[in-house]
Amino acid sequence: MAPAALHPARCGRLAALVLLAGALAPVSLGAQVSLGAQITPVLTRADPVPGGSSLTELRFTSPLLMGTADFFGDRLQLHVTLDGEGWTMPHGMLATGDFGEGWEDRRHPHTWAHELVASVIDAVPLPGGIHWSLTAGKGFAPYGTDDPMNRPALVFPVNHHWSQILERALAILALRQGPVTLEGAIFNGDEPERWDQWPNWSRFGDSWSARALVHPSAAVEVQASYAQVKSPENRLGAGPEHDKVSVSARVDQRLGSGRIYGLAEWAYNSEIHGFFKYYSGLAEAQWSWAADRVYVRLERTDRPEEERVFGNPFRSNRPHLENSNIGITRWSVATVGYGHGLTPQRLPVHVEGIAEVEYARVASLTGLFDPASFYGRNDLWMISVALRITAGATMPRMMGRYGLVADGGHATMAGMHDMD
Amino acid sequence: MTWTDRVAKRLAAWCGLAAALAGCGGGEHAATGPDSTAAGVRLVATVPVPANYGQHDEFLRAGLAFLCSWNTGLQIYDVGDGRAGGSPQNPRFISRVVTAGGEVHNAWWYWAPDGQKRYVFVGQEGPGAIGSSSSGDIHVVDVSNLSAPVEVASYHMAGAGTHNFWVDEANQVLYAAYYNGGVVALDISGTLSGDLSSRLISQIQPGGAGDTYVWGVMLSNGSLYASDMLSGFWQLALVNDTLRVLGGGNNVPERYGSDLWVANGYAYSGTWGTRAAVLGNAVKIWALDATGAPVLHDSIVTAGFTTVSDVRVSADNRLLVFSGEYGPSAGIYFYSLVADPGHPAFLAYYPVVTNNQNGIHTVTISDIGGRRYVFAAEDPPTPAMLVLDVTAISP
Repeated sequence: MAPAALHPARCGRLAALVLLAGALAPVSLGAQVSLGAQITPVLTRADPVPGGSSLTELRFTSPLLMGTADFFGDRLQLHVTLDGEGWTMPHGMLATGDFGEGWEDRRHPHTWAHELVASVIDAVPLPGGIHWSLTAGKGFAPYGTDDPMNRPALVFPVNHHWSQILERALAILALRQGPVTLEGAIFNGDEPERWDQWPNWSRFGDSWSARALVHPSAAVEVQASYAQVKSPENRLGAGPEHDKVSVSARVDQRLGSGRIYGLAEWAYNSEIHGFFKYYSGLAEAQWSWAADRVYVRLERTDRPEEERVFGNPFRSNRPHLENSNIGITRWSVATVGYGHGLTPQRLPVHVEGIAEVEYARVASLTGLFDPASFYGRNDLWMISVALRITAGATMPRMMGRYGLVADGGHATMAGMHDMD
Repeated sequence: MTWTDRVAKRLAAWCGLAAALAGCGGGEHAATGPDSTAAGVRLVATVPVPANYGQHDEFLRAGLAFLCSWNTGLQIYDVGDGRAGGSPQNPRFISRVVTAGGEVHNAWWYWAPDGQKRYVFVGQEGPGAIGSSSSGDIHVVDVSNLSAPVEVASYHMAGAGTHNFWVDEANQVLYAAYYNGGVVALDISGTLSGDLSSRLISQIQPGGAGDTYVWGVMLSNGSLYASDMLSGFWQLALVNDTLRVLGGGNNVPERYGSDLWVANGYAYSGTWGTRAAVLGNAVKIWALDATGAPVLHDSIVTAGFTTVSDVRVSADNRLLVFSGEYGPSAGIYFYSLVADPGHPAFLAYYPVVTNNQNGIHTVTISDIGGRRYVFAAEDPPTPAMLVLDVTAISP
């Protein structure tokens, strides 16, 4: 049972109060407030799905309400992102190869309180040109690369749970001098089991992460990060620890009349002191011009295989009974996509049409799991068409970046075409 | 109905068809499902176990229950011994020990031929990729003082981990299923202390390297029977201190194997998980010929769960009990062996289902005070040891 102080109803009231405060604060404090909304209807066909047949689904993904408020000359920031996927896609979204939080070959719905954080920045000046920020709330731990929601492709990469740590109760300290920013955080290790679930506050502080960001120029970011996450897959803490490493480089800058974006990352996840090792390499790029953009993503990621639950091949059993799995598979995935803005930028509502094709090849590395038997073959395709609809203020920041790095290291949101 | 539901139904139908087809050549007969009655099965006690992954197995002997409670450790309860005032209806905690590394999975209280009852062997189930790799050691706990058990020795095999045991007490040999390590025979005579690697008598991978992942072993009439998840049901023997294959093997191609029991000239072996869309919802019944070699005789296939995780026969060889796990028909199934042990007759089904999935991981039969009880390990998220009085249905 959740502690009384963390009862969902109470948390909901708290969130409402934060939103209300955010709405009223500009009046009293002269704060700058940005509000935005987004939803993306996606029609996806996956061939094959588990069992060997094909499947076509329409999902309303990433229904987001986003708000930021900056107070006292940007010394206090509030970030709120409310995610309605629990209502619009309670059964998840087809995403062959994706895994995590008990979902297999589907992307799980995120929790409704996706981000709810406050940051204090340089409230007390430090000598030597050092800037600092302190962040607390629920959101992304400083680890790994940017959330896939911020990036070009529609369908999440396989490595989402190797490369991001999200929806945790956290406290982050960040320090910056010149081009170097260091972030350290403590948080709860447990990942959500349901879209309406709050972090297990009794586990706050049992996990930690650290990230170093270097910005040699406004367009380039290099990051390296490490995390120890205790028992992410067992809410009560009985599961093994995950040791995680991520390094990446990102470029995002204007090029002629357009814009070029690129990301290369390598991630490693070790469980039970290296008994299970999972590797991931990913590279993606996007070129955008006028109202158009094209993108490509190449990925090779190892995935744990778990016995699927009876009657639902897209879910695995939670909580776990022991520390074994039925194998490790390696996913080699190529994704290409094209987006075209359908509405003039001057309108308050922007619509972008997106088409995306993904090809994956899966191979067994260890264990019983036989992909050819499970899917009918080793080659898997996905085709998606979507409309990304955004309204209100443009996305003012990188999702998952807070305090000193809330501007995302001077980068734009690659997935939010022409919104910078 | 959502697309998810539709594909799930299609898959379930496909799995059922595949299972039926697979059974055509194996002499299977359909069992009753969740509509069956649980009348006569009475829950008399529930011992909650911390959800530190929970309860995995229990060893019952002389009114003591040794609960294998994962990272909570080995817990000792009085369920009829009387030293702590316990009974099946009122289990009383005596003591607990967490062996090195935790992950306490199974146990055997060893009664040596000289009358000593000093040691409990504990199996640690470490992480593994099922079918390929495993880990976890055998730990030896000294229970000379049942109120203060202490670990005194252990056995470690590089590259493999232990699973279920059988102990030849008269000859002082511990047989351990060792997953990809196959089967191990250990000398457990005398005083046990420290590293037991020098106690290894013999080891065998009955299916060969790459096709061996042994779940359990049982000694009967001089043969050591082994259920290999990959390569089927084997007849082995320790001959001149060497484990040898005598018969069986490569005889369950459509499913993965699980637990086993031998009685009445028959062997009963469970199945596990999903193999090429065929569910592990079968109990294979093997007729043992004059040499003890197993020949497939019949199968019990039960709809509505994925794994037969434990198989037991009562001490009088009249009652067959197995546990079903992962599915809406999870729980405990009871069969009579009286009329024809080669074709068990259904008696009762006791449902234990949480989240429409989890059920019972293991069952153990024990006769205490003139009544028959089944001790069962309920899966998370509400792990517990259940105590069922099954006297009324026992044939």
